[in-house]
Amino acid sequence: MEEFGLVISVVYQFGTNAAFLLLCALGLIVILGMMNIINLAHGELMMMGAYTASLSYQAGLPFPVCVAVSFLVVGFVGAVFERLVVRRFYGRELSALVVTWGISLLLSQGTLMVFGPFLPSIPIPGGSLDVGAYSLSVYWLILIAVSIAVVVALAWLYNRTTFGLHARATMQDAAMARALGVNTGRIYMLTFSLGAGLAGFSGALLAPTASIMPFMGQQFVAPAFITVVVGGAANVIAGAVGSSVLLSLVRTPVGFYLGAFLGLVALLLAALIIIRLMPNGVSAALLRWSDRRAQSG
Amino acid sequence: MSKRDSQTDVPQDATTPTTEDAGLSIGRRGFLAGSAAAVSAATVLPNLKTAKAQDGSPVKIGFIEDESGNLSVYGIQKLHAAQLAVKEINEGKTLKGGANIGTGGYGPLASYAANAPTISKEGVALDIVNAGGDMSGDATVFVEDDDVFVDSGDQGILGREVDLVSVDGQSNNALWQQLTRRLIQEDEVDVLVAGFASAEREAIRPIVDQFNQLYFYTNQYEGGVADANTFCTGPVCEQQVIPVVQYMVEKFGPRCYTIAADYNFGQLTAAWTKAFAPLVGGEIIGEEFVPLSVSEFSQVIARIQQAKPDWVMTLLVCQNHHNYYPQAAAAGLSYPMASTVNMAQGYEHKRFPPPSLNQMHNAIQYQLEVPTARNRAFVKRWMDMFPEDEYIGEMAQNTYFTVHMYAQAARLAGTTDQETVKRALELGWAIEAPEGAVFLEPGTHHCAHYIRLAVCDENHDVYFVREWPMIQAWWLQRLGVNLVRNPEYKQYVPDEDPFFSMFG
Repeated sequence: MEEFGLVISVVYQFGTNAAFLLLCALGLIVILGMMNIINLAHGELMMMGAYTASLSYQAGLPFPVCVAVSFLVVGFVGAVFERLVVRRFYGRELSALVVTWGISLLLSQGTLMVFGPFLPSIPIPGGSLDVGAYSLSVYWLILIAVSIAVVVALAWLYNRTTFGLHARATMQDAAMARALGVNTGRIYMLTFSLGAGLAGFSGALLAPTASIMPFMGQQFVAPAFITVVVGGAANVIAGAVGSSVLLSLVRTPVGFYLGAFLGLVALLLAALIIIRLMPNGVSAALLRWSDRRAQSG
Repeated sequence: MSKRDSQTDVPQDATTPTTEDAGLSIGRRGFLAGSAAAVSAATVLPNLKTAKAQDGSPVKIGFIEDESGNLSVYGIQKLHAAQLAVKEINEGKTLKGGANIGTGGYGPLASYAANAPTISKEGVALDIVNAGGDMSGDATVFVEDDDVFVDSGDQGILGREVDLVSVDGQSNNALWQQLTRRLIQEDEVDVLVAGFASAEREAIRPIVDQFNQLYFYTNQYEGGVADANTFCTGPVCEQQVIPVVQYMVEKFGPRCYTIAADYNFGQLTAAWTKAFAPLVGGEIIGEEFVPLSVSEFSQVIARIQQAKPDWVMTLLVCQNHHNYYPQAAAAGLSYPMASTVNMAQGYEHKRFPPPSLNQMHNAIQYQLEVPTARNRAFVKRWMDMFPEDEYIGEMAQNTYFTVHMYAQAARLAGTTDQETVKRALELGWAIEAPEGAVFLEPGTHHCAHYIRLAVCDENHDVYFVREWPMIQAWWLQRLGVNLVRNPEYKQYVPDEDPFFSMFG
């Protein structure tokens, strides 16, 4: 039983590590991975999701509804930003970086001024499961399942729907897509809005595990960028899944046996090595591997 | 420096006390006594700055805290504390206190009677010849005097209005250095009150020393700063770690697992825990330093479960780390916890839904819930001024009494000249703060505090289970620090004390 509990606990730790990276990265997969905008306001979009969730939870809504509300509210905010600011910076990556950084400062400081240093936290739904000497949080098991489901839905949206086709066409060659009758302006807005909405969605999901504070978004930014960049641009969704799995495979055993500090060191080291060995990210390597298999098969 | 300059530091009436009329108020008398002391101090002190005191310009209190950014939750509280104290000083109010003496009162754990009993002079049996009166109560005294908020007999400081020159450090150490230079060089502040994180303090202390600026650091911290220009008014490790560790070992057992924030505060406080646990029968079975960027704790929780401690020492500081509490509760971790920072500073028990902080124990010198009359009066004064505020933490209270303490010392010195005020503070200063009596020990520039062991229950209500009416900040004394005789400008770390390696 002791051995069994240990194995389950390590698998659970792996799952939570990977789900955390994936949730952090969700919105950025779309905005950085597909639109190639270095969105430094990503953390603040997640913060807005958490704030929306906390406010609607206090208003008496059930938590799943709060998460949906966060998706819609932050998605709408994203659409507004895209129309007002971000659309002027397509193709100018560094300008977009500075502008989104400015937005992030405005959002976090504005939140401090309007809402003060804290909002009440949301109680973590679900209890705990005991496995031998270890216990697992039911909510994190749900988060693992939800993150997988959302990634599958995102892949379906981009690979199986007309919107996905138009979006991919626009990101590849906007002029050609326009020539073929795609309303690229609308696609850009919807895509950015979707990315923002997803950031809000994962912000809301992570809100019960976090302190709801104006600067809470910062904790998610580094994991999000590491996951998306290590994943690479060849296929962002598969890349992000691959990178979160790979990074967690390295982090989990080191973190468990040697402590959180060395776990973090291992994660960063792994990211460094992966980018060195696979400069185009995990997804490019996956693509090459599947091509080779298709040829030999 | 010439005698002429020294004299200009002293108010005119201090040199001619006999002309004052007989009906002096107590405050007035104290003020005169102080001025007289300043005469003797000023005449023997070299290098006094030329006085700029007597022209009626305001006394400037330079103040830096983080009103924005990551640490704003603490900074805003501290700013409000300073604003409250300055307002009270300008309205002619002060807290009881003065050089070398306290104000007296009931002991906190006293049994007390209507009149004090009289002891027989015969023999050594200490027979009671007069019982005094009926015992009217025992255990914790809730009816201690709330009359600690009194008239100062002064408007502002020495008749000059007090001006709080407050700037926002924005949780950014580089900015803290710029602002410190600005306050000292451009604003020429009379005193600097600043600093939350140890990193901020260490960033600005070299600048403080370069200009010999009178500087108060009001935070709870890891201890060890021995700096002739710096007065540390918050509690340090020896006042908090040892009491709480002793209580936890007695109550829950010897096996302790420490998780600490991975920077100087967490590392040093963990070192204190590790070194002193064996003295009270405890044992550190695991120790983990968590990087400040970590906000997801399932692995840390699993490691604690693997170690099976009797209790957990949590020295977690930043907002990322506060996530530990709800996550641990959700994962079913129910070990008793001890800390020196939580509740009293970031009011986690008010922010997180119960029972995340159930069984949290912290040896604090102040938090909002301290159940005394004087604290209730203090909280009321605060909330009248800042009705929107949610909490008053320990650093806010430190800032509050520190500003009052500065005003008293300047009154006694008879001048705001910084060297003279430092000498006045080095007389040793007692002040009746909302927490209880605080004594600024002159040799080390640290304060003896009233320490209480606060416990959070499953509903996140707070109760106090043990009190230590005065615990000295004794560690620097042990190292032989005496800033009055031997000025120094450094921070000692446990490695410089051979004791710590004995249990390494």
